[in-house]
Amino acid sequence: MTVERTARERILDAAMDRIASDGIDAVRIARIAMDARVSTALVHYHFATREALLAEALEHSFETAGDVREEAGDDPVARLKGMIEQCLPLPGELERDWVLWVELWLRAVRHPELRPTAAKLYASMRTWFIAAIEEGGFGDVDAGAIADRTLALIDGFGVRALLGDPEVPLERARAEVWHALAGDLGLRDRVPSV
Amino acid sequence: MSPRPTTGHVRRPAILKAAAEVIAERGVIGTRIADVAERAGTSAPGVLYWFDTKDELLTEALRFSDEQFYAQLHRELEQLDGPRERLARIVELWPAEGDGEVVLWMELWVRALRDPAVNAARAALDARWRAAIAEVVRDGQAAGEFSAVDPEEFALTLGALMDGFAIQLALRDPGVTPAQVRAHCLALVEERLGLEGVGR
Repeated sequence: MTVERTARERILDAAMDRIASDGIDAVRIARIAMDARVSTALVHYHFATREALLAEALEHSFETAGDVREEAGDDPVARLKGMIEQCLPLPGELERDWVLWVELWLRAVRHPELRPTAAKLYASMRTWFIAAIEEGGFGDVDAGAIADRTLALIDGFGVRALLGDPEVPLERARAEVWHALAGDLGLRDRVPSV
Repeated sequence: MSPRPTTGHVRRPAILKAAAEVIAERGVIGTRIADVAERAGTSAPGVLYWFDTKDELLTEALRFSDEQFYAQLHRELEQLDGPRERLARIVELWPAEGDGEVVLWMELWVRALRDPAVNAARAALDARWRAAIAEVVRDGQAAGEFSAVDPEEFALTLGALMDGFAIQLALRDPGVTPAQVRAHCLALVEERLGLEGVGR
C-alpha cells in the first residue's frame, strides 16, 4: 500500500511538470510514466483519463501547498499580503501550478466532469480568505463579497502576469490586488506606484 | 503561392466567423481545418488560402470578433448620454457576450502560454480593450464627472476583475451569478471614480 501510494505521488508530480511544459492536450502519458519510473499501464490504472490526471494533479498540488498556507503570522495585514503572494504566479512551483490552473479553466469548460474540481479549489480558496478576513478584526465587512472580488482580481491579474503582459509585471499584480483588498477592508493604502 | 482556388469566392470574414464558432465549440485541438471549411461553405484549400495554421485562425478569428464587438460598442455608446452611462454599458456588455467569447479567450491564454506570436496577439487585443475603457474614463474626467484616477490603471483593474469573474461564470461556479458579477464591477466603477448609483 505504501509503495503504491508513493508511485501515485510520483505520477502526480511528474504529471504536474509534464502538463505544465507540454500542455494537457499534447502531453504523452508514456512520458509521464517514464518520468515517474512506472509503467504506462500503472498510470492508466490510477488515472483513467487525462481529465482525471489533471484534476488529481491540481488537487495534490493544492494539498501539498497547504503547509505554506498554514504559516499564518500574527499580523492580519501581513497574513493577507502573504496569501495574495501565494496565489500569484511567482517563479517556480507557483508558476507551474498557474499554467495548470489556466489549462484547467479551458478543460473544465469543455469537460463538465472537471467542473467540480474547479469549484472545489475555488471554494477552498474562498474559505481561506474569508477566515483571514474575519479573524483579522477589520470591523463590519462583508467577508464573502471581499473574498469573491479578491479571487477574481487574483485570476485577472495573475493570468496577465503569467503571460508576461508588459503592463503587468508580478509586482504590479501584487500591488493592485492588495490595493483593492486594503480598500475593501477600510485600510489606508497608498496608490500603487508602478 | 498556389493559384487561387475556385472556392476563393468564400471571403475571409465568412471563414473567420465560422472559425470563431467552431473553435468556441470544439477548441483549437479538436478543430480540423475541414470543419471550419464546411461551416463556411468552402473547402480546406479555401481556408488554407487565407490562413496557414490553426493558431493563426484562432488569433484572426478573435481579432475579427473583436472588430465586430468594438463596432457594436461604438454604436451603443454613441447613443448614450454621458460617460457614466457608457461605462455602465461596457460592464453590461462584457459578461453578456456569451460563453463562446470567453471560451475563445481561454483558448488564446492556453495557446499564448507556449506560442510567442499568439501571446503578442493576446497582448495587443487586451491593450485595445483597456484603451477603450480608459477613453471613457478620460471623457468622464474632462466632463468633471469622474475622480482624477489614472485612467489606464483603472482600465487594467476593471479588465482584470471582469476576466476573473468571467472565468468563474464560464466554469458554472455555483457560487457566482451574472447579477453578482455585474454588481461587483459596478461597485468598482463607483468606488474608484467617485460615483453613486451607476447602472441603476
